[in-house]
Amino acid sequence: MKMLLAILLCKLGHAIGKLVGKGSSLPGKLALKVCPDILRRVQLPPQVIAVTGSNGKTSTVEMIAAILRAGGKTVVFNEEGSNQIEGVTTLVLTHATLGGKVKADVLLIESDERYAAKSFRYFHPTEFVITNLYRDQLTRNGHPEWVYDALLPAIHPDTELILNADDPLSSCFAEGHEKVQWFGLDRCSISTDAPAGVYHDGTYCPLCKSPMEYAYAHYNQIGAYRCTQCGHAKPNTDYTATALDLDAGTLTIDGETEIQLAFRSIYNVYNILAAYAAGRRAGIPAETIAGVINRYVLKNGRMQTFKLGAHHGTLLTSKHENSIAYDTNLRYVASSKEDCVVLVIVDAVSRKYFTSETSWLWDIDFDQLNVPQVKKVILSGRYCNDLAERFSFTALPEWAVQPDIAAAAEALRSSGSEHVYVVTCFSDRDKLLAHVEKEA
Amino acid sequence: MEVQIVHFYPDLMNLYGSYANVLTLKRYLEQLGCSVTTKAVIPGGETRFAQGDFFYMGAGTERSAKAVMTDFARFREELKAAANDGAAMLFAGTAMELLGKSVQEADGTSYPAAGLADFTTEHRKTRIVGDVYGYTELFPEAVVGFMNKCGITTGIGTPLLSKVAMGHGNEAPHSPEGFHWKNVFASELTGPLLVKNPRMLETVAAAIYARRGETLPLDRPSDPWAEAGYTVTEEQLRKQI
Repeated sequence: MKMLLAILLCKLGHAIGKLVGKGSSLPGKLALKVCPDILRRVQLPPQVIAVTGSNGKTSTVEMIAAILRAGGKTVVFNEEGSNQIEGVTTLVLTHATLGGKVKADVLLIESDERYAAKSFRYFHPTEFVITNLYRDQLTRNGHPEWVYDALLPAIHPDTELILNADDPLSSCFAEGHEKVQWFGLDRCSISTDAPAGVYHDGTYCPLCKSPMEYAYAHYNQIGAYRCTQCGHAKPNTDYTATALDLDAGTLTIDGETEIQLAFRSIYNVYNILAAYAAGRRAGIPAETIAGVINRYVLKNGRMQTFKLGAHHGTLLTSKHENSIAYDTNLRYVASSKEDCVVLVIVDAVSRKYFTSETSWLWDIDFDQLNVPQVKKVILSGRYCNDLAERFSFTALPEWAVQPDIAAAAEALRSSGSEHVYVVTCFSDRDKLLAHVEKEA
Repeated sequence: MEVQIVHFYPDLMNLYGSYANVLTLKRYLEQLGCSVTTKAVIPGGETRFAQGDFFYMGAGTERSAKAVMTDFARFREELKAAANDGAAMLFAGTAMELLGKSVQEADGTSYPAAGLADFTTEHRKTRIVGDVYGYTELFPEAVVGFMNKCGITTGIGTPLLSKVAMGHGNEAPHSPEGFHWKNVFASELTGPLLVKNPRMLETVAAAIYARRGETLPLDRPSDPWAEAGYTVTEEQLRKQI
């Protein structure tokens, strides 16, 4: 009876929420009040795939859903983005019959990394993809090891882990776990001999804190690591990017599956690899997966092209408080072949909570923008002074400050025609997009 | 004046932009006409305390802090002697905990810390995060920053911030924060502290000068971006109180 009431409440709440454009976590919250163990009582599909990690959750989940559907499976997943237990409850109950049966082949869940243990208290995924763990929203998350410790109880012994072999920290989830599948990227054209970035605690062994050696690195501490003391090392991979050329936009998986990248970012490569691995584990043939992810354009709007006066522009959504998201987008900008102007906006640090914390700016390697084709960098938003202070410690020759975002956009509109790259967060992107002509 | 900065464990203890405290202090001293060298101490690496004018350690994870403490222990006596002699030091973020007697981890086990001061820290299973706005006896302007720790520190009689109007202090919300004795400064505040608070930067530089029997020149450099950044954050935080 309680279950039926909870399901009805959730469905009703979700329908009303949709009408008034409200978030997707409230109906689940109500249902949990009525029936706290509702997630144990419902009958879930035979396959439950969860995806978590600091970066790439949403994009990876979107691609996994597309792959599974192309393979003929019915999938329900949290497209609306609420990824804590309340959102997961909304997802499950809105797709359940009144008898509590979720009608799909696969339940696919994007899960918040710090609260996954709550979501998976009453059921556990059959496959659990962990994309990576690194510095992300430290005002909320503390630090990556803190998140690791919070995520560990969410992992059930029966779950098959699909892990990133190149990440020294999240690879530790394999310690003492039987069922593990690995994805990773071999040495390729973008590899460097040593890790890059402005902080290096991630290059010390997460298990024994001794320095690690690298055969090669792909970005920050991600690469082929080996601890000089305890032997913690990049394992052999089951699903492997065997070749990658970001300039040409080509990726080869397992030596035979050729993929054209719609977005030539190292991030996108790892997300594709994770989705590929999950697809294969779900029994989808390589060629079907290749058909989906070849030239795949993400629908989640993380990248937006626009026109501004004589400029063409690209907005690269980079989570504030996430230095690696910034670093990979700055690397993308620096790989640009044409002259460009870069606009960095930090106005509200978060859209969900207030904070004036800007120490994460010091974790970002802004010196990557010190290349000839970047003609100028403009810093804007409420925290432009903190940005300027950070830039005063870079070697960049041309940067300027315009606190007002609208004024920064107008100044660009009235002069020049270089490509404009905008690097900012969800919290601030619309403040710029309001002043440009968006392209599809 | 020649100044040597000794930076303990710049790789492992570098959360929350901690290294920027060293960058900004070095630049400030150089603008004052000093010639500054920075020496990094890594586990197993040497340092000669007698040559150090400023000793610094930044924030790290609980595991990193414990790991560096096994190495840092060998500096215990020299550290105390230098502090007694008036050497300037800043232990920023979770590094502050290593100045005390001991650190008790969330699982109940303890390890000894440097023992420069009489305080102890107990780690909890929940994290203490949030913006902080408080006051020090050292200058009239408010101090701003962000708290990101899991430890409760007790036994500090001489805090750096005597009043905390917003956020968490050493022991509880609104309790005094940090530690200050002679020229030893310690605060769990990140920001980084010396970048976000130009007056604190000046105060630490003055402490380095004081040990040499000198005072900061009257004509001092100003960092307009840091000053403007401070003004914005101070105002934003004050509105939240």
